[in-house]
Amino acid sequence: MKSYEVSNGVMIYYLPKELDHYAAEKIKKKSELVFREEDIKYLIFDFNNTVFMDSSGIGLITGRFRKVHDKGGNVYAINVKPTIDKILNMSGIYRILSKRENKEEIISEMIEGGYYE
Amino acid sequence: MNNTNEMLVEFKSAALNESFARMVVAAFITSTNPTLEEVSDVKTAVSEAVTNSIIHGYESKDGVIKIKAKIEGRSIYIEIIDEGKGIENVEKAMEPLFTSKPEEERSGMGFSFMEAFMDKLVVESTYGKGTIVKMWKEIGVLNHHYE
Repeated sequence: MKSYEVSNGVMIYYLPKELDHYAAEKIKKKSELVFREEDIKYLIFDFNNTVFMDSSGIGLITGRFRKVHDKGGNVYAINVKPTIDKILNMSGIYRILSKRENKEEIISEMIEGGYYE
Repeated sequence: MNNTNEMLVEFKSAALNESFARMVVAAFITSTNPTLEEVSDVKTAVSEAVTNSIIHGYESKDGVIKIKAKIEGRSIYIEIIDEGKGIENVEKAMEPLFTSKPEEERSGMGFSFMEAFMDKLVVESTYGKGTIVKMWKEIGVLNHHYE
């Protein structure tokens, strides 16, 4: 399975089972390559397979947020399990990270907001 | 039956070993009969400490990290030991959101997470010699730190 997909300035990143410093470094590198080639405005982190996360994941999200925020974009988290939700909550990252149930919810918000016109 | 046990493991300071360190400690503490949430808390705390040793202690160069752990009944004691560069100012390093490596996208939350997920945290460091992170946790006790 591909670790990410890009279409119309939206990037969805399928996060691994364990999001630690080791994984975060690889994701950062991969996404930076994509960011250089594509104009990404919205970044969606899919936590569906993720069962472990530490503060390295927070650093990764914050770093990516800075990039899309400059373009008036947004960073989302979807399919967040309770263990991960606890970490995200504690870190205070929900101030800059928008949690949604799934991809469909974000897409319909974007359609309503006129993004796809 | 009294549940007492001890372990010592050492490994190379490679990022790949962060998951190994978490797994070892998680397996070791099973005899305390922890909930999944408690296992997850301990894994996060261990991951934070080991990551600190790799990134800050050894600055991503080769080194040896040791983990010592003890169990007495349902009490867990863990030490993460490195012989890296040490921390110049422990108090400052432990401040929430403080990081000496913002360019590497470190969140500065490592010690805060260790404190939140464990019952007690002590950091002993000698600049130029290394760091020992000591953590305690009582299994089966409600923890309200993050509620």
